[in-house]
Amino acid sequence: MSLWVGAAVMAVALAVSGTLFGRRVLQIYRLIRSGRPTARFDDVPARVRNEAVVVIGQRKMFQRAVPGIMHAAIFWGFLVLFPTIVMAMIGAVDPHATLPWLGSQGWFAFLADLFAVLVFAGVVTAVVIRKIQRPPRFKGSHIGEADLILALIAGIVVTLVTWHGSLIALGYNEWPAQWSPVSNLIAHLLGTGDAIRFVERAAVWTHVVLILGFLTYLPRSKHLHIASAAVNVWFGRTRARGKLETLDFDESVPEAEMRFGTGTVADMTWKQMIDAVSCTECGRCQDACPAYATGKELSPKLLIMGLRDQLMAEGPGLLAARAKGETPDLKPLVPGAVTDNVVWDCVTCGACVRECPVGIEHVDHIVDLRRNLTMVQSRFPEEAAPMLRDVERSGNPWGKPQPDRAAWAEGLGIRVLEPGDPPPDYLFWVGCAPSFDERAKQGAISTAKLLQEAGVDFAILGPRESCTGDPARRMGDEYTYQAYARQNVATLDESRVTRIVTTCPHCFNTLGREYADFGGRYEVVHHTELLAELVREGRLKPKAGERSVTYHDSCYLARHNDVREQPRQLIQVIGRAVEMPRNRERTFCCGAGGAHMWMEERGKPINEARVREAKATGADQLAVACPFCTMMLDDGVRTSGTEMEVVDVATLLVEAVERGKAKDG
Amino acid sequence: MVLVLVEHSEGRPDDLSLQALTLARAFAAGAPVHAVLAGPGGREAAAGLASQGVATAHVAEHPGLDAFAPEAWAAILEGLAEAGSATAVIAAGSDRGNEVMARLGARSGLPLAANCIAASPGPPVELTRIRWGGSLLEESRLHSPRALLTTAPHAFPIEDAAAAAPPAVELFTPLIEDQDLLVKVVDRVGASGGGISLADARVVVSGGRGLGSAEKFAIVDELAGLLGAAVGCSRAVTMAGWRPHTQQVGQTGTKIAPDLYVACGISGATQHMAGTKGAKKILAINSDAEAPIMSLADYSVVGDVHEVVPAISAELRRRRGA
Repeated sequence: MSLWVGAAVMAVALAVSGTLFGRRVLQIYRLIRSGRPTARFDDVPARVRNEAVVVIGQRKMFQRAVPGIMHAAIFWGFLVLFPTIVMAMIGAVDPHATLPWLGSQGWFAFLADLFAVLVFAGVVTAVVIRKIQRPPRFKGSHIGEADLILALIAGIVVTLVTWHGSLIALGYNEWPAQWSPVSNLIAHLLGTGDAIRFVERAAVWTHVVLILGFLTYLPRSKHLHIASAAVNVWFGRTRARGKLETLDFDESVPEAEMRFGTGTVADMTWKQMIDAVSCTECGRCQDACPAYATGKELSPKLLIMGLRDQLMAEGPGLLAARAKGETPDLKPLVPGAVTDNVVWDCVTCGACVRECPVGIEHVDHIVDLRRNLTMVQSRFPEEAAPMLRDVERSGNPWGKPQPDRAAWAEGLGIRVLEPGDPPPDYLFWVGCAPSFDERAKQGAISTAKLLQEAGVDFAILGPRESCTGDPARRMGDEYTYQAYARQNVATLDESRVTRIVTTCPHCFNTLGREYADFGGRYEVVHHTELLAELVREGRLKPKAGERSVTYHDSCYLARHNDVREQPRQLIQVIGRAVEMPRNRERTFCCGAGGAHMWMEERGKPINEARVREAKATGADQLAVACPFCTMMLDDGVRTSGTEMEVVDVATLLVEAVERGKAKDG
Repeated sequence: MVLVLVEHSEGRPDDLSLQALTLARAFAAGAPVHAVLAGPGGREAAAGLASQGVATAHVAEHPGLDAFAPEAWAAILEGLAEAGSATAVIAAGSDRGNEVMARLGARSGLPLAANCIAASPGPPVELTRIRWGGSLLEESRLHSPRALLTTAPHAFPIEDAAAAAPPAVELFTPLIEDQDLLVKVVDRVGASGGGISLADARVVVSGGRGLGSAEKFAIVDELAGLLGAAVGCSRAVTMAGWRPHTQQVGQTGTKIAPDLYVACGISGATQHMAGTKGAKKILAINSDAEAPIMSLADYSVVGDVHEVVPAISAELRRRRGA
């Protein structure tokens, strides 16, 4: 083949694959640009850090050792081998030519050899995982598509080293051959003779065709994540992972642009669209999902795949209709992409988001789907209706009389902050559950006693406190939530509150993270944070007991808000700490999140699964730091017939402080 | 003229509609009161209005009215109100009454005031209405050429009219368009479980997880039978599959308002107690003296439900036998 013919073929091949790739990518790009707005351009340093840690460093992949090493080998391999693509294209046209400088570097030839072997080993590992080990997380994924991609990758590295070997055999290599032992070995195997010229041509052209084929197939498959994952991670949440995006109901927003969650693909934000095309169907989310683990319909993986399929099916029509100024003909996402049950099974615990290696934010999708069902269609599990009504009318989710809010504090000598009173150092935001539930109130009583013991100046709002709106918000009722957000921010600002302590991680998340959108800026601490500080400062002097304690992390504390170590510091001074297998940011939900406290559970109970895990540690006591976890896990203990005491960390600390006093006395 | 929608069943006017007529006569202040009855049995029911001071009873008969057809009912009301230049259209604040009147409001572009407990003709019409599930009374003025009102259930007594003659019964076949029959009854599902409805029962006996098993629920059934009570249960019992969700008492189940609630082996979780707010007296039987329900109940018995509940049943039998 003359130089000119080779160059012409290469040009045509590049043009065809480049066009096919470019057109598809452009289409996807246009679709994403048409998505609804979301603010993801701030906080660049954190985005750079995420990119370095999650993409380059593959941190989430390494959470599972073998698949992590497998994926890192392939991923890093392709980064290193990238210049060999250009070299192969040059070499295919002219076997004597290569990239200037780099093509003659022994160290690069060594790296190419090393990573070609690592990539091949990675592919073999992947095949073993997928074909022999067969973990359940792949249930529902496209297996054939993955097989084809693995075969392509294997073909690319095999042809690469074969090509390099034949170059050495022919003496065309510009790098010192001893630097590339694998290619050198192949050269020795090839020996001498005219056939080597043919092997060289065949290997380099097959290599190039495989790469261009891969390029063409890429944006039409789940392997688009190679391109989109890095983008998706860049635009991911950098802080306040438990904060939902606030919908803007301001009258100045044109009606056509006002969002009421997600009803059709046209309502998705551009980030949600990148989420959808980034899913690799790896199933790490499904593995971590408490709803899936207990036999519910929801799989976070199938949720995202369903959204992606409908987005890809309707996307071209959506763009065409918009270009013509017509209303696109779109089907609802529920039912369609997913069923109603899938949307309502979610406990918003965020385990899926935490596990996802490509930065997909499943909970935001779920809540947007709920918002549309609840606010536009008034369609939600009917048993939750009384809660929504009670929050709206009574200011708490059980319809209890508001004047009784401070009843739990009677006789404890706690200051109730009246309008005009001087603000306390800490406002104790009690929350509905501790105010009204017999079991949940123990945590509040204990916290109050400890704050008094340590001499902390605090007060409660009493009847002026109301629901933060969190349960309504997690049900998709954004109107009710926003009404309470405004009312509570006004009450807190009027009372000149600057610092808040709360025992409820849901209130903690709402007050500390979500109220910022309504002008509420307070320093909000969880009671475990404040109590740990008081112990550290010596203002509380506990003495550890003999009983063993296992601590259950609340999702809204440990995962959404990164409070993990302070509760453990307290457990250390309370008793003998033992950990459950799923702890800290990988905790397993109690089952109450996402307003499930007020819904009937389908399938096996999540709380019983968690109680069994706690019992298996052999601990005497199950320590919690959330009133809803208290109720759910205590219920789980009763219904599963387990012998175990469920107690708030603060209550255990009261006992430890009393032990400390007894010792001193 | 004041027009009143009279619902009826088994050839008799419904009590709630007779209550609405009490308001209608006062509201009419001497002007004639006309009644509208739709569907099978209307003729017989019209005869039951003899003492109600109704001048004319319009009885609509049409094959499309064999079952409840809210849009068609609204169309009939609209036609008669127009023809007779009615100053007000009044219906009972029943599920059906409210739906038909809401549709009438939408058809005629007039405001509807639902759940009234007092109304004077004005103009403007002065109203007192029940709002927010009974927690608020609203006083309002209705500016409308024709007042559309529904009456809150049991807000008005059933009374005979001062000077009463049986109404002139006018049978007619209304003109009903296809689109008026779009909303129709396709199926009837009886309240499951039969017996006494949990929500309305005067006495409710509930069992909780403390009973131990589905079989042991028999002692709750027995006591309920002796008391003529409805049987309820806690969420834990439904979750365990011992009893259907229709029997669940609580915020996510049925809210009850009995004179007496007997809770057997129920700990009294907040979600359960949120469904018992309407109970006048609560008797709790539980082996755990620390259970939340013990401090919320009017009477508490600390003891094994398997001993206490059969003992109550035995005592009831003994007294009745005596």
